[in-house]
Amino acid sequence: MHKYIIKRLLLLIPVLLGVSFLVFSIMSFTPGDPAQLILGESAPKIQVEMLRKEMGLDDPFLIQYGRFVINAVQGDFGRSYTSGREVFGEIFQRFPNTLILAVIGVIIAILIGIPVGIISATKQYSLMDSISMIGALLGVAMPNFWLGLMLILFFSVGLGWLPSGGFGGWKSLILPSITLGTGAAAIITRMTRSSMLEVIRQDYIRTARAKGVTEKKVINKHALKNALIPVITVVGLQFGYLLGGAVLTETVYSWPGVGRMMVEAIRSKDTPVVLAAVLFLATTFSIVNLLVDILYGFVDPRVKSQYK
Amino acid sequence: MKKVLLLISSLIVMLTFTACGGSEEKEAAVKDTLIIAQGADAKSLDPHASNDQPSSRVSAQIYNGLVATDMDMNIVPALAESWDQPDPRTTIFHLRKGVKFHNGEEFKASDVKFTIEGMIASATVHHIISAVESVEVMDDYTVKITTKKPFGPLLHHLAHTASSMLNEKAVVAAGDDYGQNPVGTGPYKFVKWNSGDRIVLEANEEYFLGAPKVKNVIFRNITEGTNRTIGLETGEVDIAYDIEPIDKKQVSGNEDLELIEEDSLGIAYIGFNFQKAPFDNKLVRQAIGHAIDVDIIIDVVLDGAGTKANSPIGPKVFGYDKEAKGYDYNPELAKKMLTEAGYPNGFKTTIWTNDNPVRLQIATIMQDQLKQIGIEMAVVPVEWGAYLDGTARGEHDMFILGWVTTTGDADYGLNALFNTATIGGAGNRSFYSNKDVDKWLDQAQSSTNPEERIELYAKIQKQIQEDLPVDTLYYNTQNAGINKRVKGFKLNPAGHHKIYGVYFQ
Repeated sequence: MHKYIIKRLLLLIPVLLGVSFLVFSIMSFTPGDPAQLILGESAPKIQVEMLRKEMGLDDPFLIQYGRFVINAVQGDFGRSYTSGREVFGEIFQRFPNTLILAVIGVIIAILIGIPVGIISATKQYSLMDSISMIGALLGVAMPNFWLGLMLILFFSVGLGWLPSGGFGGWKSLILPSITLGTGAAAIITRMTRSSMLEVIRQDYIRTARAKGVTEKKVINKHALKNALIPVITVVGLQFGYLLGGAVLTETVYSWPGVGRMMVEAIRSKDTPVVLAAVLFLATTFSIVNLLVDILYGFVDPRVKSQYK
Repeated sequence: MKKVLLLISSLIVMLTFTACGGSEEKEAAVKDTLIIAQGADAKSLDPHASNDQPSSRVSAQIYNGLVATDMDMNIVPALAESWDQPDPRTTIFHLRKGVKFHNGEEFKASDVKFTIEGMIASATVHHIISAVESVEVMDDYTVKITTKKPFGPLLHHLAHTASSMLNEKAVVAAGDDYGQNPVGTGPYKFVKWNSGDRIVLEANEEYFLGAPKVKNVIFRNITEGTNRTIGLETGEVDIAYDIEPIDKKQVSGNEDLELIEEDSLGIAYIGFNFQKAPFDNKLVRQAIGHAIDVDIIIDVVLDGAGTKANSPIGPKVFGYDKEAKGYDYNPELAKKMLTEAGYPNGFKTTIWTNDNPVRLQIATIMQDQLKQIGIEMAVVPVEWGAYLDGTARGEHDMFILGWVTTTGDADYGLNALFNTATIGGAGNRSFYSNKDVDKWLDQAQSSTNPEERIELYAKIQKQIQEDLPVDTLYYNTQNAGINKRVKGFKLNPAGHHKIYGVYFQ
């Protein structure tokens, strides 16, 4: 198990190198001069050249990339072109905001998705099943920004119960996390349902029932645990996506998260911020995936034996 | 299962508490906090490291310059009580005594020297002060600024937010992090900055013009225009900058809110590439000028938030000539001019625009209007970085762009857009070159006689409107939505509205 974890962590290194090289090339070879973008369209040419020199943009591509890697390995991701702030400090200031939304969003999604999925599966083709499947379809189909605006209209403008955006107080968490959780809940519901349906038709479930085990126990103990593996995969992926910053939701709620920061950085060609943010997210995504893989082992001992 | 539930619920509780420190404070207090919403977060509160409007809008509350501009862009004293000009290259400023920076240091002539020398060395704001040759401290409260050659717009440049006076000790102490720890002499002191979310300021009780009436000011970053309006409606925001055209009626129709509109220093224009046929032909450019119905654009795209232009600089800019010739909508005349130019059946061309929705809509309307005189114009949306690069190199036919004469002096607008010396990325993206215009621009810049400058700028504007390297469509109107309990708020033409003087009823 240890070996497996270490191996997976070591594999992160080539992944990060690849990702950084890719992002660096894209940022370097797409048109648009960062110096010009920082200074705006009204900046004199001499000034743009002064800044280019200051930023080291005139050096060859590989030298620039090499310099980045050497500094990054030492933990120095440089300063933002636009704000002059240390990039890592900035990410660490914003990441908790994204993390808390993602965690609460996923919890909401799990709390809705798994029970509804189980009920749907055990009462297949019932009215409950139809309602929850329609709900799930709606949940997936509704764009985040639309749902967000509707929630704001209803709860902030209409009822005046909750703030319409910004970060401050537990109240400000409610609407964005519901918005984020809805889509994920829908996907988890569908996954739980189909996985559950498959499992409850297995022979060992029939055996359990034949032994006289109560239906509740059959579902919660015998069926659920076996149906969970694909669900965990989906939950992990959804969590990863949410951590990557739900840009639309963050924008609708003026939420100071990593996603918005990254989009703004891309627009202003703020390479240090984009690089650091992408690397950071790649790392968290990989770690979430690793955790999911480890979790499989707890749910299904057969998987555990394969981790070597 | 129960254990898992317990774990999850305790996690929620824990996370909620850690995330929400200090949220109750603002609800309980009486109204002494003004909340302002703008569309982007500031970049840096170091005036030498930023030149973007969201930053200036915050910096303008923290700092003062030697001089300032009033609501009509006239120069008024600020940290300098008075000034005199012994010769055209030299200006001597007499500083206000007893002014304290937020860190307790007294404002002195040495700070002026430090600030201006810092500006000269800064890539971001060098252009504002590039005319200055040297700064000399005569005594603690007298400072002499010498320019390389006589420079007429000097005071307007010193009134720019980039020329805000800094304290040497504070700048040196904060080092690279000064942009997040600003220290000024202004009516509000910096408290904290939650990146991407809000900047909190508090009143400077020792402000030299008297303590501000509102104790706390918070600048919130609300990117979406609709959300700024919603914030106003729910009362979460007291002042929202830049209400979207589509939301204007929502604000003006609400009895608790008020919509304020005011001319700004910005323009929107269509540029022609002089290096490419048929735009090297004056008649073609003028024909297009007559073919565009600007009133429709202002009505439809801006919902009335603009004034038809007759010159590349607006009425609030020093040197504006109201006699300069505007182009009326006259498709018959346009058609005739086009025939005269040798294009009786029109021609095919393209217009570049970036993804700015206003510009895209203008381009679409123009496409239809030009079709009526036989010009087939394709709209080419280009990513912003590529747009600036491409237009600087002259790869375009026509393009749409804006300009803000932030100093409020004609030099800053006309010189950048029309001088041969500024062709390309420096501003003259139509590659226009006219020896007379160059000469007059240089003369007007180096004259310190206001009457003479006004005369020269009038000549330049007449010539530009005749040659029409750019067809200036309209002057932008700026706006803000405010809650009616907010009193004393005025829009500054340069865009960085002063909060000092605002109070709650």
